[in-house]
Amino acid sequence: MKRKRISRKIFTIDRIIIQFIFLISVLLVGYFVYFGIGWNVVVSLSDWEGLIPSYNIVGFDHYINLFGDPVFLTSLMNNILLMLIFVPCTLFLGLFLAILLDQKVRKEAVFRTIYLLPFALSFVVTGFLWRWMYNPSMGVINTLLEITGLEFLKSGWITDPNIALFCVIISLVWQFAGYAMLIFLAGIRSIPESHVMAAEVDGASGFQLYKRVIIPQIKASTFTAFVVLMIFALKAFDFIYILTGGGPGYATEILPLTMYKETFAMTHFAYGSTIATVLFLLVMVIVVPYLYSTYRRK
Amino acid sequence: MRFLRFKRVILYILLIFFVIVTLLPLWAGIMTAFKTEADLIYTTPLQPPLSPTMEPLETTFLIMQRPLLNSLIFTLIATILSCFLGSIAGYTLTKIKFKGSNTVFLGLIIGIFIPYQAVLVPLVMTMVSWGLYNTVWGLILTHTAYGIPICTLLFRSFYVGIPDSLINAAKTDGAGTWIIYRRIILPLSLLPFVVASVFQFTSIWNDFLFGLVLSRGEEAMPASVALANLKGGFVAMWNLQMAGTLWYTLPALIVYLILGKYLIKGFMTGAVKG
Repeated sequence: MKRKRISRKIFTIDRIIIQFIFLISVLLVGYFVYFGIGWNVVVSLSDWEGLIPSYNIVGFDHYINLFGDPVFLTSLMNNILLMLIFVPCTLFLGLFLAILLDQKVRKEAVFRTIYLLPFALSFVVTGFLWRWMYNPSMGVINTLLEITGLEFLKSGWITDPNIALFCVIISLVWQFAGYAMLIFLAGIRSIPESHVMAAEVDGASGFQLYKRVIIPQIKASTFTAFVVLMIFALKAFDFIYILTGGGPGYATEILPLTMYKETFAMTHFAYGSTIATVLFLLVMVIVVPYLYSTYRRK
Repeated sequence: MRFLRFKRVILYILLIFFVIVTLLPLWAGIMTAFKTEADLIYTTPLQPPLSPTMEPLETTFLIMQRPLLNSLIFTLIATILSCFLGSIAGYTLTKIKFKGSNTVFLGLIIGIFIPYQAVLVPLVMTMVSWGLYNTVWGLILTHTAYGIPICTLLFRSFYVGIPDSLINAAKTDGAGTWIIYRRIILPLSLLPFVVASVFQFTSIWNDFLFGLVLSRGEEAMPASVALANLKGGFVAMWNLQMAGTLWYTLPALIVYLILGKYLIKGFMTGAVKG
């Protein structure tokens, strides 16, 4: 009883300051995240087209229209291709780099800093750099091929609809490999030394050591990197907007780009919000199990 | 022994190969930014300029200076605000236990992962109706609000490690929560503040989407959007495009080269904005 009275005394202005500031955070996130998502869903159910808001609810019409919209289906397909190719390639290259750096490399920190550098740059910057790389007439890659006598490999790159998406993927792997490396390296370093030494005593070395001992123990790192990359593959916008704008045609168009164009270029607000809601649900399919498995224990 | 040395040589060849691949686009970009239009034709993109010139940098600076200033202003203010709010939230969620605090925490950090497309229309409508559309204040508010989740996560994961006994001792001495925050938590928070502010500075500076939909004229236009506009203004003038890119990336690059290790800590604790 007595203790309760003391702690109640602490309920003074002093405590209110902290609670008040905390409340600001909760309200801001509540409004801009949760209310925003709800509002967006309401817009997706309305008939709002054009600049003047209209909230006449028409139901799920737009959601049904999605299935007959070739642009939406192409974008969704490209998103799926991005997940199927970009994510495993980045994970593989990241793991490879992490294993290379784990060989007691001299100047390891310098290598690490360089590999991670693209990831610290804005997508607008990397988008501009890769537009210059892929430029068909005087860009870096075609010029390099010319100098080295590999002219037969010259190509239109991002202007060729058949390979544009793969060009986008290659440059995204370039940007994200360092991030995957970082996560894997942290995972490898957190394995107790004794486990590795025990395996070495048993005669495991080189490739076998990684395959049998180290890779099975970095499942948690792999999972984290996998989730982050999958989410990115769904919501990538800036980079592709700058590099190709979704083109040529719809060759590199993905859902966030379609949403942006429908909403802000064509003022189909309701339809754009519908695509946004689908995108949100797809991301949540990945995020919710991830958060559940990560924070369930606490 | 000889075989072992051979393996080391292969290892370093591979490492250096990846360094070259990583830096190639940057090298080409920097070289191009210092070229005259003649050099653009007479040299390959990887060659240094024959007659280096500052002209592309000067031309693009005139266009980019106001957007760069805008970006600097809203990035700095939103970084400070979101770190402060995140610190208080992390403190509340770890040291002032209340019913449902775990749920509130999860509810907050979902904000890290949501695709911003799902809130874009309401965001623009809100900013228009609050009179904050195309203002620096609108961008400050937006970046602060969407920065709170990641900052909360970063601070919380650090504050979990501060022993409760420290807090309880101060409580017995009659200190309230604000005093405890100021006298105990804040002095211990230098590291998470550096990590969170480097992380926030980088991601707000690098943002493109919010700037694209919330700014129209030069009053609020961020450098990222101004750079994107160069694409249409200087078609095929790659020296100018690369010079603009260099201006825009410089602050983030400097922060990375000096404070990179804190950014790395942020990447490892939190997730990634995109």
